Amino acid sequence: MPQNPRNQDTYDAVVVGSGAGGGTAVQVLIEKGLKVALLEAGPMLDPRTEFKEHKWPSDYDHRGAEEGGAQYFGKGKPFGFFSTTSGGWQLEGEPYTVGEGSQFQWFRSRILGGRTNHYGRMSFRFAEYDFKPHDKDGLGTNWPISYQDIAPYYDKAEEFIGVCGTQENVASCPDGKFHTAPPPKVHEALIKKACDKLGIICIANRRAIITKALNGRAPCHYCGQCGRGCQTASAYSSAQVQVFPAMKSGRLKIFDLAMVREVLMDGNGKATGILFIDKKTRTEQIIRAKTVILAASACESTRILLNSKTKEFPNGIGNGSGLLGRFLMDTVGFGLSGYVPAMEGMPHYDTDGYGGAHLFMPWWLWDQHKKLDFPRGYHIEIGGGYGMPGVGSYHGAARRYGYGADMKKQIRDGYGAAIAFAGRGEMIPNDHSYCEIDPNVVDRWGIPVLKFHFKWSDHEWRQARHMEKTFADIITTMGGRVSGLSAAQREADGISVPGTIIHEVGGARMGTSAKNSVLNGYCQSHEVKNLFVMDGASFVSNPDKNPTLTINALAWRACDYMAEELRKGNV
Amino acid sequence: MSNFVSVETFDRRALIRGLAIALTAVGSMDLDAAQQVHTETAAEKARGNYKVKAFEPNEFKTLERLAELIVPKDEKSGSARDAGAPEFIDTLSSQNEKLADIFHGGLAWLDSEMRKRYQTTFVGAKPAQQTEMLDVLVAAERAEAARRGEELVYQKSSLYKDFSGYTVQRANELGPGIVFFDWVRKMTVDAFYTSPIGVKDLNYLGNRAYSKYTVPQESMDYAMKRSPFA
Repeated sequence: MPQNPRNQDTYDAVVVGSGAGGGTAVQVLIEKGLKVALLEAGPMLDPRTEFKEHKWPSDYDHRGAEEGGAQYFGKGKPFGFFSTTSGGWQLEGEPYTVGEGSQFQWFRSRILGGRTNHYGRMSFRFAEYDFKPHDKDGLGTNWPISYQDIAPYYDKAEEFIGVCGTQENVASCPDGKFHTAPPPKVHEALIKKACDKLGIICIANRRAIITKALNGRAPCHYCGQCGRGCQTASAYSSAQVQVFPAMKSGRLKIFDLAMVREVLMDGNGKATGILFIDKKTRTEQIIRAKTVILAASACESTRILLNSKTKEFPNGIGNGSGLLGRFLMDTVGFGLSGYVPAMEGMPHYDTDGYGGAHLFMPWWLWDQHKKLDFPRGYHIEIGGGYGMPGVGSYHGAARRYGYGADMKKQIRDGYGAAIAFAGRGEMIPNDHSYCEIDPNVVDRWGIPVLKFHFKWSDHEWRQARHMEKTFADIITTMGGRVSGLSAAQREADGISVPGTIIHEVGGARMGTSAKNSVLNGYCQSHEVKNLFVMDGASFVSNPDKNPTLTINALAWRACDYMAEELRKGNV
Repeated sequence: MSNFVSVETFDRRALIRGLAIALTAVGSMDLDAAQQVHTETAAEKARGNYKVKAFEPNEFKTLERLAELIVPKDEKSGSARDAGAPEFIDTLSSQNEKLADIFHGGLAWLDSEMRKRYQTTFVGAKPAQQTEMLDVLVAAERAEAARRGEELVYQKSSLYKDFSGYTVQRANELGPGIVFFDWVRKMTVDAFYTSPIGVKDLNYLGNRAYSKYTVPQESMDYAMKRSPFA
């Protein structure tokens, strides 16, 4: 039992996690006048001092290689020194384990706003067919909700966080409420020409970046550094866009450095609050609330539920189905780069733009799967342009050209002529991919850790080979050459390591009954009515669309439902 | 983090912060002024009264000469020595014993190899002897890569994920030289291209703020005309 339960207040809701799901929950519930406690396992965030926007490598003696050249030893910050990441693939004192024969990497952010501080901000709606995948090909499971259920919340989420894009009427990627999208860069215009020729749809990207002022946020100023955090909050992050404004209400209390161990129950099937370890004092603390919302990330929320055991729930709260931890998914990733001589010697210009590609390719063969040897689609993301030179930018070129005047000239001439493609595809949930509690290991807070099991099936491997062929076709159609993969590399890098696309979802999926799922269509526990999971854990499938926008929309919808149920006295 | 917490740094931060506030208040404005301040202070920092921390004088002189050879001065820009590459390597080596050992050991290997071949140290050798040595190492590196069936490409390969360089798998008397040259080259190249001199050499034009993003027609036409879509 708690050593020092000092928090005597009772809240309408306690929200665990401050990323896309938790940030949205806080925003919506505070707007409704509720009193909310928000728990974050990392520290508070101060964008004015912590974001490295507009800095140059030469502003630092280490040029971005970090103290002692940590980046050279693979020990620096993931995604580089300038990134806003806080956390990483391995956190000191907070391990996870991986089952024999499996590979899995789990990226965790520990800071207010979580991974929304640095994520790619690709914001695609799921298609109508994405909610009924089993109807389409007999694989996987249907969602208990349809596109029509979530569409109004996609509208709300897009209008509030701000997403730019264009109206295109593409069935695999429904249109939304968009700010004006910026024009394509030169390499993107060339790629579009190649795609036109190949019958691949190539349209304006859809990213959670605003191009006109919104709720006191300035429009994008096109420095292209969204991954470093945005001082003007022109790029969405839950901390800046949802949590900071909610703090002004006086009804939000934030507990930072709060590592949640379990959901507390009253013995009558109702959750009473949360037990967490205060990392500053290493003491257990309790927060009492009328409703409990887990939004700690798919796997962290699953872990909390698995670790919350009572007499009535010996296998974890709300786990009557035994499916908690099951149907874990990541996105299928594969990348290929190319070199395009047409751009050699081009008059240089500022290609930073709005921080990422201005175009992308949604899945264009959604009605042709009978002719393909894999069942689900992927979209394509684009890289290229004159990037800010950084540590590691030219290691490959230096090796290729040796050293000296020739190497210098080759790097200069080739600068900006390289392009890259990244495929992001749908994985079908399978019985070999899940997480469970490791019976032998606890973290430094005494909390049992997760053990991961994961396996790609032939569906995913064949999809990745289709990506490889498609990318090579686009590159050669542009008159470019593939910056090839050798056979050895293809074996090692032919498909992304599970978890590394950081789209891990599932684990507490929603469904039509307590037998086939953990949650209902409102992200509410079938078995514990005042318990909700508002992150990627609820996902039934993992379409090729990046999950964050759908997490925003599902959380918003769940909060509307929850507040109404609370008002009616049903939870 | 940077060891420099100078007045310039403070002013620069204040300037950026001020501009960020201005952006919030009035929309957008160009950050050219900020860029100018950055470039000037960084250039001043590049080579001045630098005090070597991790290396003996001969070691540091060798790094200086290697920097001149790896990224030489040409009609467009200065060398990696001008851009502060030896200072960069020294600074990081002074913070990391493992890195320092890589360079102490590699530099000692290089001088010993030079004595075998030319009866003098690297710094003491003639320029033609110095480049001959580097050419031997590059040829050995390429032979090693070819033997492993690996193309020398832009792409980051699974073998170099953490930039920790080669591990020479077959007994090769030049192995230590290949490994060392990879280290000194990649850090020299990094130091050069992240310096204001290198940024200017590549003509990187970003890290600015605009109220509207446009792509120059001239660039678009140039690439289209040279593409299969002309």
